Amino acid sequence: MSKISRLAIANRGEVAVRIIKACEELGIETVLLHSEADINSRAYRMANHKICIGPAATAQSYLNIEANVQGALAMGAQAVHPGFGFLSENADFAQACHDAGLIFVGPSPESIRTLGDKVSCKNLAKKAGLPLVPGYEGEDQSVQRLLSEVEKIGLPVIVKAAAGGGGRGMKLIKSMNEAAELIESAQREAKSAFGSEKVFLEKYLDRAKHIEFQIFGDSSGQVVHLFDRECSVQRRHQKIIEEATSPSLNDELRRQMGEVAVTLGTLGQYKGAGTVEFLLQDGKFYLLEVNTRLQVEHPVTEEVLGVDLVKMQILTAMNQFIFSPTDIRIPRGHSIECRIYAENSYMNGVPSTGLLGTVMWPEGPRRRYEYGFEKGDVITSHYDPMIAKAIVWDESRPRAIEKMIRVLKDAVVFGVHTNIPYLIAILSHPEFINGTMTTRFIENNFSEGLKSNHSEEQRKKYSQEVYKRSVAIGDMNSDQSIIQSVSQQNPWAIQWRGI
Amino acid sequence: MGDTMERHLVMKQIQVKLQNGEHVSALVEKVGTQFWIKAGDQTWAYDIADLSSDGQRRKKSQTATPDMIIAPMPGKITKVFVKDGDLVTKGQALLVMEAMKMEYTLKSDFETKVEKVNIKANDQVTVGALLVKLQKENTELK
Repeated sequence: MSKISRLAIANRGEVAVRIIKACEELGIETVLLHSEADINSRAYRMANHKICIGPAATAQSYLNIEANVQGALAMGAQAVHPGFGFLSENADFAQACHDAGLIFVGPSPESIRTLGDKVSCKNLAKKAGLPLVPGYEGEDQSVQRLLSEVEKIGLPVIVKAAAGGGGRGMKLIKSMNEAAELIESAQREAKSAFGSEKVFLEKYLDRAKHIEFQIFGDSSGQVVHLFDRECSVQRRHQKIIEEATSPSLNDELRRQMGEVAVTLGTLGQYKGAGTVEFLLQDGKFYLLEVNTRLQVEHPVTEEVLGVDLVKMQILTAMNQFIFSPTDIRIPRGHSIECRIYAENSYMNGVPSTGLLGTVMWPEGPRRRYEYGFEKGDVITSHYDPMIAKAIVWDESRPRAIEKMIRVLKDAVVFGVHTNIPYLIAILSHPEFINGTMTTRFIENNFSEGLKSNHSEEQRKKYSQEVYKRSVAIGDMNSDQSIIQSVSQQNPWAIQWRGI
Repeated sequence: MGDTMERHLVMKQIQVKLQNGEHVSALVEKVGTQFWIKAGDQTWAYDIADLSSDGQRRKKSQTATPDMIIAPMPGKITKVFVKDGDLVTKGQALLVMEAMKMEYTLKSDFETKVEKVNIKANDQVTVGALLVKLQKENTELK
């Protein structure tokens, strides 16, 4: 039994906060391994200890194996939690932690190499006779060879970072004219985001649903699945809305896919939390890849099953977590997660950076918010634009959708623009409500972005009046009772309703 | 942090009687040089300079036209495909920039000639920077 009394977090933002909370509950001290740019963040304020491991650029900080290991050692941590993204799926990092005598909270380096490397995972699955999407995953990475393989597979083809995940280093090739440019772009993104420019090709299924299974390997080596999530709502291959469980699976499909997920996890001797991703088209499913880490969307699984995956990860790393054979896991109700991105919904999703003003997440039963930044923090262009996640649970899918829409309408985010209007439009779309959306849902329905239905002229006039009023009252320190200052602590703040 | 916090006014709930007699309610806050408003489920912001009664518009906000390829966000230029004097077709990629770990390809909206390329690969650019100037749409190419 290995005791962890101090754990280092090799990550930032909301996932760092999530890990800190799990550690606080387990009585474990935390060390935040942060970049120079992340001093104004919630995780920095919450962690017991912190150490700067490098400048803002990820290659020199969050992707720097040596700096992370040295930081953890210097601060006396016994373990490292990699979160998701950055080094979380990097076998060399897991190995470096082991070599330095640190517990890596995640699967073994061998498991990461076998399952996390998309090429090796496909080979393993092929041998085991599991269903795969046709593609090319060869060693020859010359653009010329990749182009000829694209032709062989037949358009449309998707090019992906072999070491990747999360949509980065991923491009869709629809015509041979743009193929070379897209392959090179994917290689550059892969290099910048994951440190390796290796890519592979896959036939693009054009009306598929993205369905994934949460797997978990306990301390005894037993691998189980914790049911499914659907993440078909994606833009530029990045998930936006996720839910558990999938509205698209019947019991038989769920059983079959769950079995494949567990088989693969068992073959890879998986330990801790992982995700087996599938595409589902015309009632047939294909294995996509395995993410050997915690997922961004893990909360929806936690909500329908009543589990805490991060605590389970840490306990497993301490050899203290074993599934009880009498435990019956049945998902209950429905949970939805929306990723809140700092971007302008009305300008085709252009990132929005800057100083955060007031941020208020409306409280209520079974509403959960995971966020890494608060008023006074700065959203920079160095990192991912996700500033928060909103998660709701309700008895049924329609109820959960209604609740999420209400939550998003009531949320206040000042200082940066967000995708909240975009999310509301998606949640209100008949195809989403029916649960029939595919991974092309956004492309088919929202390719033009959102158009504001307010006349710019009217809005500006209105804004000028509001501003005039606000300044008059603020500057003259007026005692007019119609004005009330609203602070984040004020319970009446969320009582406010619109025009 | 104290320094940044001073750049805020406290968020207020405000009620305004508009000229048309309508009473409206909004949450407002000054953040940096911007004035943020949330009314109903809509949130938006204006530069304070654009709202102040002096009517003094700052020259900064020149309106972009399709012949001006402007940086839509701060970031790094990763690739430049064109040089001064090149002819480009509608939809042709002009350059690639990276921000927030994503790549964005900026393209020409119409067939024209490149007038001036102001950047090179690896340049850091600020939002609103004029990256490439194209010849205006109706300019004869022949």
